[in-house]
Amino acid sequence: MPKAILSCLLLLAVGAPPVQAQANYFLRVGAVGASKLLKDFITSPITVKQSIAPMVAFGGSLPVGTKGYRAGLEASIESGSFHSTENGVDTDLGTLRTGALTAFLEGPVVDRLRWNVGLGGIAYRPAEDSGIFAQGGTTSFLAAAGADYRHPIHEKWDVMASARYDYHRFNTDELEARGFSHSQGVGRVSLTVGIARGLR
Amino acid sequence: MSAVTRRLILGAAALGALACGDIASPERTDLYEWRLFVPGTGGGTDTLSFFWSQSHLPVRIWAEDAAGLPGYAERAIGIWESGFLYREFRGEMVSDSSTADVLIFANSAPNLVLGVHRLHSMAPECSGATDIEVSDDHTQLLIPVRVFIDPVLPVDQPATQTCLALTTIHELGHALGIFQHSPNPDDIMFANPLVEAPSERDRGTIEAVYHFPPTLEPVRP
Repeated sequence: MPKAILSCLLLLAVGAPPVQAQANYFLRVGAVGASKLLKDFITSPITVKQSIAPMVAFGGSLPVGTKGYRAGLEASIESGSFHSTENGVDTDLGTLRTGALTAFLEGPVVDRLRWNVGLGGIAYRPAEDSGIFAQGGTTSFLAAAGADYRHPIHEKWDVMASARYDYHRFNTDELEARGFSHSQGVGRVSLTVGIARGLR
Repeated sequence: MSAVTRRLILGAAALGALACGDIASPERTDLYEWRLFVPGTGGGTDTLSFFWSQSHLPVRIWAEDAAGLPGYAERAIGIWESGFLYREFRGEMVSDSSTADVLIFANSAPNLVLGVHRLHSMAPECSGATDIEVSDDHTQLLIPVRVFIDPVLPVDQPATQTCLALTTIHELGHALGIFQHSPNPDDIMFANPLVEAPSERDRGTIEAVYHFPPTLEPVRP
């Protein structure tokens, strides 16, 4: 199975003509919300959290086997603000962009609903190298799962709605230099809608 | 239970334990005293502590255009800003001294007047002083805060330039709320500053300053 997935990903990436007929592409837009990036304590608890951010996701997949499974790649880009909160007071910490790349496997659940699981990576790129990102952004492995719903609107095109949950561990070089240990588990939930080339 | 199942369960448990833990904050115990203790208005001792709250940011800083002070001041602002994790302090240079929160003069400090607490730094090549003026009841910091940096030797000498740079950082540290000197010569807030940048202890201390309740509120008379 891993060999089949790798082959499909490679073919999808290079856009080989024989597989174009079986290829499925999608583009979705939506929003993502994330749990806290860190919790600190100086004289009272301080949390750092991203605001709900707009996101764009795009990618493609190829069939794997004969049971309706598909393997593919999905990239997403998110851009929003992040802030710290102490004693109920928020402080804007600037703009934070994230990008995620996931290799996924999907399959049918019922009718137009499909499951989706993936593994990949996420990169944090702050607009300004300061504060917890004083030594620059950071990257981490990521695991994702979710569901897609497709509604045909054309012979070859579907409207696609997706819900995803992904999880990764967060830390930065600056936080490590300041004596923070371990890392923070960050869960993200995204809801997106878009179009996809139909699976017909 | 098969060996494979057991391994899977153990693996999932290990992954779960790893996934559920939170990031751990540092201890932050290596600090020095930053508060100023003065004879109390009603007897005893009053504690003076202060920081620039979010509503006062960015702190407006004016530097006299002499001895390269504007450049040293701008660099010092950036150095102190980078000491904070949560953007507790931001400063900006202004050209109008009448609207500034902090004034930096290129001369020696004038004679001390009542109600002003002066923090000195002294190096062979230059001297520094920051005047902290408080109200009679010890509840208000009267702004602008005045800083005096006096090049004792010619300003074109590298040693003097180094002294001006680190003394500006040191005096701005006082203006930001560190109202005492560090007892450790490795810190920029040591009375006779020797190092060229804030140490971990300096950064930890200024961070603490901005999270402890202040006793002074800034007021422009």
